[in-house]
Amino acid sequence: MATGRVVYPLYQLGNPQLRIFRTNFFMTLVRPGVPQPEDVVQFRVSMQMTRLDIKNYLEKIYNVPVAVVRTRIQFGKNKKRNHKNQKVKCPDYKVAYVQLDQGQTFQFPNLFPEKEQTPEPGSIDDIQNKYLEEERQKYQSDPRRGGVPDWFGL
Amino acid sequence: MAGLRRKWSELCRQLQAKSATTVKAGPGAGPWYPPVVASLTAKSKAAQRRRQELFHQLLEEAGSIEKKLQLYEQRQRRKFVVYPQTFALRADRSYQSFTKTAFVPGLPPASRAPVDLDLGALRSLACDALLQEYFYLRRPFAWSLNPPQPLHEAFLTQLLTSLSGQLVARNPLLAASTLDFQPQVNFYWMRGEEVVRHGHRSGRVDPVRFQIDDKPLLQIRVPKQLPKFVPLDDLVAEEIPVINHTPDKLPMFKRQYENKVFIGSKVADPCRYGHTQFHLIPERLKRKKLIQKNLAHHIEVVYRANGIASLFAWTAAQAMYQGFWSEADVTHPFVSQAVVTDGQYFAFFCYQLNTLALTVEADKNNPRKNICWGTDSKPLYEAVEENNIKGFNDEVLLQLIQFLLNRPEDVQTDRPLASA
Repeated sequence: MATGRVVYPLYQLGNPQLRIFRTNFFMTLVRPGVPQPEDVVQFRVSMQMTRLDIKNYLEKIYNVPVAVVRTRIQFGKNKKRNHKNQKVKCPDYKVAYVQLDQGQTFQFPNLFPEKEQTPEPGSIDDIQNKYLEEERQKYQSDPRRGGVPDWFGL
Repeated sequence: MAGLRRKWSELCRQLQAKSATTVKAGPGAGPWYPPVVASLTAKSKAAQRRRQELFHQLLEEAGSIEKKLQLYEQRQRRKFVVYPQTFALRADRSYQSFTKTAFVPGLPPASRAPVDLDLGALRSLACDALLQEYFYLRRPFAWSLNPPQPLHEAFLTQLLTSLSGQLVARNPLLAASTLDFQPQVNFYWMRGEEVVRHGHRSGRVDPVRFQIDDKPLLQIRVPKQLPKFVPLDDLVAEEIPVINHTPDKLPMFKRQYENKVFIGSKVADPCRYGHTQFHLIPERLKRKKLIQKNLAHHIEVVYRANGIASLFAWTAAQAMYQGFWSEADVTHPFVSQAVVTDGQYFAFFCYQLNTLALTVEADKNNPRKNICWGTDSKPLYEAVEENNIKGFNDEVLLQLIQFLLNRPEDVQTDRPLASA
């Protein structure tokens, strides 16, 4: 469990017993920056979580079969500057690589797929696109003038 | 480093002087000029190519195998260290792709079946070796419940020596062989390409380098090569897995230390071909430990990865001892066998090295694949209780005998083989 201070609600006599303990951990599923084996899932986890915690979290809460967990701590950048030009440290975070068991594989879903760029002919989108294209061409300078401004010339 | 650079520049100078003197003037009269070639030292692609060509030329013209290996091992860079006995999941697939090996389940058809074997005598030899460690030596009781690694080592050594002693009459190759106890086997090779990330060489394309440092428990080396299992250009249907991630995701790590190609003895040794290797699985990768960790499906992967990596390293090192390398591919296949065991469960592997051309340039239009045949692990015995062995498996013993009886066709059984 977390090593931080844990505050439970004060128990008053006669209150119902609190019997469900939930974690105060969060795991964020992230897209791997470099290609990983197909059975590896990458998470950002809270700094106090150990490998065993991660394994239990996934197995007990989500019923995900876990074979191996590897973790590392990513050093946050120290390059950022604030408005007073002082260095601002980005916080460190823990990265977990979870290798799935039982031949399961995972691929991070493509959340923003490329939209179809050809709207139906005659639709509002199509008319709007055509209009914008015409306007753009109207305001484009003449390539034969080689960048010489409009006001110069006869 | 400075010494290496001096040696390199001296070699280059010698080569240039040699090429200048050997080229003769053309048929037409007139002055002759040296050919216009790219610079050796410039930072250009042509210069890089020329340096590469020069290096290949140096290796080809090396007088002896020792010199060739020295040149091949000379350049040190950070390289992936491949551990044959690994904890990495799915390591066998990655190892197949690093070594261009197709894995075929089952063993290749035996060239000849053992006839009129006295199996009873051989079985009693094996049982004696087993009971010696478990019972006759009167070791502490706890040892028999949880046998430590030295017990298995002693058992395997005794098993192999007694069996091969008995089988010498049938296989004279064994009489001329050398038995190594815990020898070093190393192999260094390059496969694939990567971009250098850090350092003053960042941004350059470099080959991915690999090194195996293996230490089998026992190995038999012989002066004559074992017969090939399939012809050199025979294509097996099994595909080599394509790995889309970098090797460090296996996980594997890079280190820089001396590159080494070694079969267990120096080049001058007459026993320069491999016969059989015996590998003992370490305690942490044993069946029991993996089942405890809920990785039961990983048991066979450990055996397979060990078989593939160790046999590739050994067989390829043998081929390099014959003067072959990635630019001069093998002209005949090289063959070795291995037994991977944890003391109780035995898995058998046969390896045929068809190609050493694993670098990116050499691998273009190279349909050849290395082939590894292998079985799943089977128990030799189920348990040892006091002085009786429960469930002794003759099938495993027979397979072991078959491995030891393997020999080339031209070795006559009736005549002892003169040591080469």
